[in-house]
Amino acid sequence: MERTEAIVLRTTDWSESSRIVTLWTRELGKVRALAKGGRRLKSMFDSALDLLTVCGIVLLRKSSGSLDLLTEAQVSRRFPRLRDDLGALYAGYYVAELLADWTQEYDPHPGLYDEAVATLAELGHESGLRVMRFEMVFLEELGYRPALERCAGCQGPLNEQRLAFGATTGGVLCVACQGRQREHRPLSVEAWQLLQALRGSGDEWRRTWASAVRNEVRQHLGGYVTTLRGRPPRLLPYLGG
Amino acid sequence: METEPLGVIARLMHELGKLPGIGPKSAERLTHHLLQAPKQQVFSLAEALRAIKEQIHPCEVCCHPTEHVRCTICADPQRDDSLVCVVEQPRDVIALERSGSYRGLYHVLHGRLSPLDGIGPEQLTIDRLMARVRTGRIQEVIMATNPTTEGDGTSLYLSTLLGPLGVKVTRLARGLPTGSVLEFANSQMLADALEGRRVL
Ligand SMILES: [Zn+2]
Ligand SMILES: [Zn+2]
Repeated sequence: MERTEAIVLRTTDWSESSRIVTLWTRELGKVRALAKGGRRLKSMFDSALDLLTVCGIVLLRKSSGSLDLLTEAQVSRRFPRLRDDLGALYAGYYVAELLADWTQEYDPHPGLYDEAVATLAELGHESGLRVMRFEMVFLEELGYRPALERCAGCQGPLNEQRLAFGATTGGVLCVACQGRQREHRPLSVEAWQLLQALRGSGDEWRRTWASAVRNEVRQHLGGYVTTLRGRPPRLLPYLGG
Repeated sequence: METEPLGVIARLMHELGKLPGIGPKSAERLTHHLLQAPKQQVFSLAEALRAIKEQIHPCEVCCHPTEHVRCTICADPQRDDSLVCVVEQPRDVIALERSGSYRGLYHVLHGRLSPLDGIGPEQLTIDRLMARVRTGRIQEVIMATNPTTEGDGTSLYLSTLLGPLGVKVTRLARGLPTGSVLEFANSQMLADALEGRRVL
């Protein structure tokens, strides 16, 4: 029996009175569990197991082969902005998609859990920037940190006058490597600064950035995520800078 | 049963077992009940099953299932055709009709926007709704999608499409518990939610 807090990432009807939910938990990482209805449990599950809701759950771990059982779910937090701002909602869906599709079951990342909750809470205000910050923390946490300070190809120094981002190489490329790597796109100095701010530990990324710069970084991050995954995330076309 | 060709009986159990609320035990019980029932009764059931798929199709106006070109609601001259209530599923129409407090027409989306599952506007009957509103006859569109994250998201999306057309867009009042499903709400709750709808 495990008690933890979780974000609802996905729910699929299993039968008339039960469904399978994918949860992102703080202590256990991603969990897929069967929420069996029945009259008493149905209404509790109905209101708690809504997408992008944070709930306190009780989980009955099963031995290998069968799905874990959800025995309790109580809403602990909802994010009202997701219900009146379409951009915020799609950014929230994107967070759910990344967590559901990229993580392994029972591989906990408490820091990423906290970042996901903080992101959902702040969406609705500069949603595009907020979700890019989440993406950067997410990539770092899962070991896909892009190279930004030195060339991703040769570790050499970068020339600010001629920067480029190589999605397959995994970061910013020096002029010599740009000649060798066929796949790269030009990167403006401002976008390079925003990428670094998004990865930094401080709040530098929260300052005002021109929309052209945000859109450029959106393109680079989208390309990088698509390359890593081998296909574009479903929600990517819905995101703004 | 070992001596019988297993195919036919097993197939019926298998098909019955796919129905909601029917487990393996019930499927077996129903199968044996049907085996012993009079031929005419079983044929009549088979015919009724066939008919719902062969004769029922979406109403040309509101997409609610009907055996006519237009459903009985759209064909009723007493209904207020300046008012359209948008719902996810045909079951929601039944629930709202049962509440007895709504006199307008409906529009059945046949689902909700669910980008995570790849369900976008093209998979729903949104084009048909827009065409209805563009005729200019409709003055108010009431969003009665489920009060879930995806249901609210669908309403929000529709209101961004409908806003520029100059039609009044309202949402059922928050009497319904968040995350709940319309079809399970009781009639009084639905009547109150309709009464207290707010402009989006
Ligand atoms: Zn280099
Ligand atoms: Zn109709």
